Amino acid sequence: MGSIGPVPANPYPWPYDGAADTARTALLCIDWQTDFCGPGGYVDAMGYDIGLTRAGLPATARLLAHARSLGMLVVHTREGHDPQLSDLPANKRWRSARIGAEIGTAGPAGRILIRGEPGWEIVPEVAPVAGEVIIDKPGKGAFYATNLDLVLRTRGITHLILTGITTDVCVHTTMREANDRGYECLILSDCTGATDKANHDAALHMVTMQGGVFGCVTTSDDVIAATAQ
Amino acid sequence: MLTIPAARPGPYAFDLSTTALLVIDMQRDFLEPGGFGASLGNDVRQLRRVIAPLAALLADARAVGLTIVHTREGHLPDLSDCPPAKLSRGAPSRRIGDLGPKGRILIRGEYGHDIIDELAPLPDELVIDKPGKGAFYATELDGLLVERGIRSLLVTGVTTEVCVHTTVREANDRGYECLVLADCVGSYFPEFQRVGLDMIAAQGGIFGWVADSAQVRAALPTTGVLQPSS
Repeated sequence: MGSIGPVPANPYPWPYDGAADTARTALLCIDWQTDFCGPGGYVDAMGYDIGLTRAGLPATARLLAHARSLGMLVVHTREGHDPQLSDLPANKRWRSARIGAEIGTAGPAGRILIRGEPGWEIVPEVAPVAGEVIIDKPGKGAFYATNLDLVLRTRGITHLILTGITTDVCVHTTMREANDRGYECLILSDCTGATDKANHDAALHMVTMQGGVFGCVTTSDDVIAATAQ
Repeated sequence: MLTIPAARPGPYAFDLSTTALLVIDMQRDFLEPGGFGASLGNDVRQLRRVIAPLAALLADARAVGLTIVHTREGHLPDLSDCPPAKLSRGAPSRRIGDLGPKGRILIRGEYGHDIIDELAPLPDELVIDKPGKGAFYATELDGLLVERGIRSLLVTGVTTEVCVHTTVREANDRGYECLVLADCVGSYFPEFQRVGLDMIAAQGGIFGWVADSAQVRAALPTTGVLQPSS
């Protein structure tokens, strides 16, 4: 195993403790699902430009290959609900219906945001391989109502590198949860994306305030360049 | 059922018996001139404009008998609940636990850690001490809300893009319906205030609804209708 860091990042060279042991660092790939970045998925059905949410895929695929070559823990998350909708809060369902893409109804990629449907699967560019952890989550945050925290602590993970979509919603919520739990977080500007470019930029900017209130921002190239094997 | 017709992105309906007013981190360290926030170079006036409308809303909520929850961010005096990554981020001599203008910075029990006089909790109101930005992680908040049958949260406090946003995101994932009151939440940075509120109401209200406190006050009955819950 090797180490990552110090990585040039905003607002401080990441991580706070000098370098992250790759055995204690996980790469988080958040919600790279057809529903959020594929044709016919939920985001497409709502009328947003999936070009914005797909923008981070090539860089994430490169970083994923790098992490695998280092033997790092890779964790994929998927947002979705069980087919009976028993874990779907009423207000979440109501809101999705209101904008014309009700969770659980049929769409071009199967029932929207339902576990097991084609639209809920992770896109091929960054698909999990055997041995990687997959976390199914009912909310925006990957820690709430999942075993993510237990998995990370069991593996001795203390540092997280975050990729995924969307920057301002699921990635930010998860980063906030991780930060409160004491994980040292690094979010990658080129491996994330949002349905609105201004929200992507603002979400990254927020991370950097107050000395790094939620952690740091950098790019995948900087992470790869700062790796020592 | 009461309704706020002009809420973004659409009308917000709530029932007084299942609604709580959440007042987040209105602490001296963040709001008072000469406090910790100010010592970092922040303009506390950006937060202090929240005090008057929030005090008025709090008075009306008390008159109606609404459940009221205050939160405070802070750590134990021995810092055993402060993650190393959080501790290391402050500038030297202005870190959590260091002696600041109003006592040890962000330490429970210190003068600066407590809520400002204008919004001081009454004895029967809930006060949640939290070690993080979110009010749900590592606290008893969710249990207390479930116990009282609360489903809707009127969200106020500081700062909009940090503790308010983190708490709203946690609440939303747990199924609570959050109405964030734009004039009762504040950020040191006007741009984050604007974009923070926009993000709540984006995509059909992905985290909740946004309105002004005047709209809520106009909807509340003028006399108490609820029995105290305890």
